[in-house]
Amino acid sequence: MKKMEIEFILNGKKRKIEVKPNDLLINIIREDLYLTGTKYGCGLGECGVCTVLLNGEPVLSCLTLAITVDGKEITTIEGLAQGDELHPLQKAFLKNGAVQCGFCTPGMILTATALLRENPDATEDEIRNYMRGNLCRCTGYVQIIKAIKECTSIKNKGLTN
Amino acid sequence: MEKEQYDFIGQPLEIKNIGKVTGKELYSSDINIPGQLYAVILRSPHAHAEIKKVDYSEAVKVGAVCIGPQDVPEIIYNERIVSIPEKTYRDRTVLPKEKVRHKGEALVACAAETEEKAWAALQKIKIEWGKQWKPLLTLEKALSDDAPPIYDWVYLGEEKLKVKNNIACERNIEVGDVEEGFREADIVIEKTFHTQRVYHMQFETKSAVCVPEADGGITVWTTSQGIHNVRILLGNIFNLPLSKINIKRITLGGSFGSSIQMNSITPICVALALKAKKPVKLVSSREDDFYDHAKYPLKTILKVGVKKDGTFTAAHCRVWVEIGGHNIQAYPYLGCVAGWFASLYKWKNIKYEGTAVYTNKVPTCAMQGYGNPQINFAVESMIDILAEELKMDPINLRLKNYVGKGDEFWGQGPTVRSIIRSCGVEEMLLEGAKLAQWEKRVPHYQKKEVIRKGMGVARGFHTSGTGGPNPGEVIDYSGATIKINEDGSVDVLTALMDLGGGTWDALAKIVAEVLKVPFEKIGIYNGIDTRSTVFDVNTHATRGVYCGGGAVKFVAEKVKEILLNYAATLFKDLPENLVLSCNKELGQAIIYPREIPENYKTIGEIAEYAHTTSWGTLAYTSTLRQKNCPPCFITHFVEVEVNTRTGEVKIPRVVIMGDSGTIINPNLWEGQIIGAFSRGLGFGLLEETDYHPEDGSLRCKGLVTDYKIPTTLEMPKIEDIIVRSAHTYEPTGPFGAKGIGEAALSSVGPAIANAIYNAIGIRFYELPITPEKILKSLQEKEENLRKRRGE
Repeated sequence: MKKMEIEFILNGKKRKIEVKPNDLLINIIREDLYLTGTKYGCGLGECGVCTVLLNGEPVLSCLTLAITVDGKEITTIEGLAQGDELHPLQKAFLKNGAVQCGFCTPGMILTATALLRENPDATEDEIRNYMRGNLCRCTGYVQIIKAIKECTSIKNKGLTN
Repeated sequence: MEKEQYDFIGQPLEIKNIGKVTGKELYSSDINIPGQLYAVILRSPHAHAEIKKVDYSEAVKVGAVCIGPQDVPEIIYNERIVSIPEKTYRDRTVLPKEKVRHKGEALVACAAETEEKAWAALQKIKIEWGKQWKPLLTLEKALSDDAPPIYDWVYLGEEKLKVKNNIACERNIEVGDVEEGFREADIVIEKTFHTQRVYHMQFETKSAVCVPEADGGITVWTTSQGIHNVRILLGNIFNLPLSKINIKRITLGGSFGSSIQMNSITPICVALALKAKKPVKLVSSREDDFYDHAKYPLKTILKVGVKKDGTFTAAHCRVWVEIGGHNIQAYPYLGCVAGWFASLYKWKNIKYEGTAVYTNKVPTCAMQGYGNPQINFAVESMIDILAEELKMDPINLRLKNYVGKGDEFWGQGPTVRSIIRSCGVEEMLLEGAKLAQWEKRVPHYQKKEVIRKGMGVARGFHTSGTGGPNPGEVIDYSGATIKINEDGSVDVLTALMDLGGGTWDALAKIVAEVLKVPFEKIGIYNGIDTRSTVFDVNTHATRGVYCGGGAVKFVAEKVKEILLNYAATLFKDLPENLVLSCNKELGQAIIYPREIPENYKTIGEIAEYAHTTSWGTLAYTSTLRQKNCPPCFITHFVEVEVNTRTGEVKIPRVVIMGDSGTIINPNLWEGQIIGAFSRGLGFGLLEETDYHPEDGSLRCKGLVTDYKIPTTLEMPKIEDIIVRSAHTYEPTGPFGAKGIGEAALSSVGPAIANAIYNAIGIRFYELPITPEKILKSLQEKEENLRKRRGE
């Protein structure tokens, strides 16, 4: 299959790569760009562990064709911290024991980033509802929700950029 | 025992393994080796069929490297080598040689430059099938006289055994005289219970990467709970010296017991890499993973005799487990079920009969509890049934009969027993009842609303490790190398896996406490493999903190001895006159002569001096076997709301009491308990891998949403999950600690079932309790009432 060139911003940096029309975004990110923080969980859009942000919106990279991100902006878990300074959600996840095996964590944190951008004062119910598509088998979610809730009070501290 | 004051143990912990939030943490599926091939697996479309011929020549023509049944070694093994060899049943090869025994069984594997090419090659493989049989999917069908044999013979140790009636193994135990016990009883009740097959649904599918090395050896990254056992098995199967096999310890994306055994894909990946003479990467698809492992189900017929005052006189427990197409250690499973049963209550006289039966389904294995949640469902439901019959409070009946301090606990079946030295059962039942407002509970017959509330209690436990005064049938020891580096920081090299529960954090804290080195200065998370470590059996049986922690504490104390002896030469004093303590302002461990703290030296200075004077490294290596298996206890008080129109069950509030002795990491401990509650909720209400009765395929077809695990929405809210710890100290554990992991799940199922009974007056004997089952039972109850009224 013929490759096509696409250009997009990945974690703040401009990238130009060649992809096939049927290449999935998850495979390009993991196999070609070696950003393995984006995980494969089901390949069918059922579990949420492959979530990345596309122009700030959470999308499932296992269901997204790589060519469709041409001209857009992608954020993966590797792009969330500002240098050595962790994002407030990353810190809150560590502090609250919201991480166990860590496999769902990248997707969880990215979805939560989008949630807080849309709704910086999200209530517990709103968090539960927004996060329902991101599955976790280890934690039972409670400490994850707690970590996200803790970040609702941190406004204008780099959460929304 | 008086509790000591600790610098690190019991302090809240911020997780230090930051790679897990930045995406830098590597899992097996993240390993990429230049020039690697990608492997995919052709799985059997049939549940029980004879393999006549496998022809992959066309696949080879398009550039794939393939292995089929004809290419793998003849070695027959069991992938789970935690038990001693003479008690290990063996029935499998890397790929099946003569016939497939369940739908989805791996049959041929292909590797190519890309996954796409490998899939394309796979389409070209031709299989010629011989005789096919209708799949045996239930206990009854597999045991019937006219059932086709799934195996003709298997091995137990070195002994070749004929398989009769598809019975994989049996285990019968008798203590006392049950017939006499039943004669003494005022009430005898017998009930039948069923727990289902559950899929582990660990988020990382089973994966492996294998690199063939120049010396003929291999390096392997794979999903595993015990890297040394993987090495031993691969050495045996591929006839390689262990010194040429190196298994990397790498973070696991969840496991819950499904990687205690060497995963079936691991030797497939190795066989491909050895044949291709190139690195091979194999990542299972989710559907493949669904067809690879499941939790052992259980059918239990339980008969209990009790006197009017609530004293038990006898219990007869008969269990059957259909294990699927391979026996991944059903023999120790039957032993463990016997042990959990025998150790819950003082039955006085017991008879236990266990049978494991082959079926043409996905092979079953351990999943958080190894039979404990299964038998606990039967026993803890039965306790409530008996309490109602006796007109006793269910809590009082439990308090009257539980096995506690001074009693014997069967930590791993009948051959691994030890005396209980710490027990919070009474405190947990009584304090939990207060927190749950148990006294406000009303009987089901007073409830008439559409949405009916109910509350249930159940209690359980799990062992901490598999050690007893006598070693028994299970191998159990851990080890470590601990070294003080040239700057005073510390490396801990242990093969022990962290399954996500924070075991490495706990071990680091234990070392920090012994050496008084700040937790941040302990290196434990990465850079470990079989070559650099001494043996560790596995992270299973809730043994991480108790056994692994016990071993690192033992080694750290030896290092402390070496350190103080060396420091004594610098201080020109005796080691016993020196004090080792943590100076938090300096962020260093310091040593000073007793009563003269101002003359301190940091251990950084001491280590540097040992280095620059060429004295050597302050280090020690050893292994340790724990000689006890203390139970960690748990109690669940669950509130439910049952919607009698839809059959839906909600859990608005839960009180969970845990007894782990000293708690090393409070927030991670709580995380274990809450996470287990979520999986218990799935076990109790939602999850089951059921099969198509004709072709033996999974009805969920490998789809996560069709299988249904709990989401954020099913859990109670933050404020409505109350988790508390009992005040206990385990004298045989590191700093008084015992385990928690598997205990936390054991009584969730029956607590939910007991709460549902309290809400609607219907007793469920089968899990999961789905809305469909609730509605059907409510309708039947209504019809019976109408009939009784003569309508």
